[in-house]
Amino acid sequence: MSAAPSSVAPTAAPAPPDIPVIDAPSVPFVEIEALRAEQFIPAAKEALTSLLAEQAQGKLIRPVFNWAGRNSLFPLHWGLACCAIEFASMFSARHDAERFGVVPRSSPRQCDLMIVNGTVTWKVAHKLITLYEQMPEPKWVIAMGNCATGGGPFRTAYSVVPGVDKLVPVDVYIAGCPPRPEALLDGILTLEALIRERGE
Amino acid sequence: MPTEDLATRLRAAAPETTATVEPLPGTDGRLRFPPDQALAVFRACQGVLGYRHLSMVGGIDWVDHREVFYLVWSDETRRYLMLSSDLPLPAPHIESATAVWPSANYHERETWEMVGIGFDHHPDLRHLLMPDGYQFNPLLRSFKLHEPEELEVKVRHV
Ligand code: SF4
Repeated sequence: MSAAPSSVAPTAAPAPPDIPVIDAPSVPFVEIEALRAEQFIPAAKEALTSLLAEQAQGKLIRPVFNWAGRNSLFPLHWGLACCAIEFASMFSARHDAERFGVVPRSSPRQCDLMIVNGTVTWKVAHKLITLYEQMPEPKWVIAMGNCATGGGPFRTAYSVVPGVDKLVPVDVYIAGCPPRPEALLDGILTLEALIRERGE
Repeated sequence: MPTEDLATRLRAAAPETTATVEPLPGTDGRLRFPPDQALAVFRACQGVLGYRHLSMVGGIDWVDHREVFYLVWSDETRRYLMLSSDLPLPAPHIESATAVWPSANYHERETWEMVGIGFDHHPDLRHLLMPDGYQFNPLLRSFKLHEPEELEVKVRHV
C-alpha cells in the first residue's frame, strides 16, 4: 500500500493510558466497625461484586470490546460528492475494504463510523448532524477529501460548509481531491490505531 | 411567427398591455412588458398565443435595476418566446406566474432566493437551494466571495 497522507486530528481527546489498570478500586468504603453483625455480610458482598465488576470491565471487557469494535468499523453508506466514487471503489475487489471489517451499512443506527465523503453544503448540514446523532456510541468521523476537511475548492462559495468539523467532531482527516482508495484505507487503519490508543 | 404578428395578436388578446416585441435569434422574439401588466401578459401568452409550457424563470442584476425573464414554449410554432420585464430598485417585485403556469413555482423560489426578486401572491415563497434563514442573495453583483468565517449561517438543529 502506498504511503497515504493521513493525519490524526489535532483536537482529538487526550489519549488515556492504553488499558486502564485499576490500582485503587473505587469501591464504596465500608466502615466495618460501624456495621452491625447482620449488615456485615451484605456490605461485604456488595463491595466484592462491585470490585470484581470494575476489574472485569477494566481488564477484560473493555479491551475485548475495543478490539472487536476497531476491527469491525461499519461506515454509513452514503455519498455527498465526487469523493463518494473513491469511497465506493474502496469496497471493490481491488481494494476490498471488507478484509478490514469495514462494511457499509445503510442505516445510521447500525453504524459506528461516518465517512464524510464530499462537499457538505449548508442545506445538508443539519441532515448530517441528524444522521450523526442517530448513530449509537461509540462513534467516529473521518473527513475524507479537501472538501470535508476545509471546504476544498469551494471554500469561499456561498453554499459550502468550510470543513465538516464545524458541525461534528472529526477524528481523522484525509487529504486529497479526491483521495485515492488506498488513502481512505490508510485513514481507516489510522483510525483503528487511534481507537486502540484511546482505549475507547 | 413573425414578431409583428405576435405583437398584433397580443394587443388583440390583451388591449391594455403596452408590451413590445423585438426579434431574438432562434426564438419567436423577446416580449418586454412593464411589471404591473404581468398577469395580463402571462394570461394572453398562455391562452391565445399558445405558449403552454413555462421552461424557466431567471433574474439578472443590472446594478441600477433588475430584470426578470421567462422562457415559454409553444407547441404550435415549436419555438421559445422570451418574456422580460425591468424591475426598479429598491424592492424589485412582480406578480407571480404560478396562477398561469404552475411550474413557475420552483423557478420563482430560486429567482427570489438568488437574485432577490419578490413574487407577489406566490403560494409558497421559501428557500429552495439554501437553508431556511439564509440572509444573502448570492447571485447579486454586490455579493463578494466571502472568507468562510464571514458567512454566518445558522444550522437549524432538528
Ligand atoms: S475533495 Fe475533491 S473529489 Fe472530494 S468531494 Fe471535494 S471536489 Fe470532489
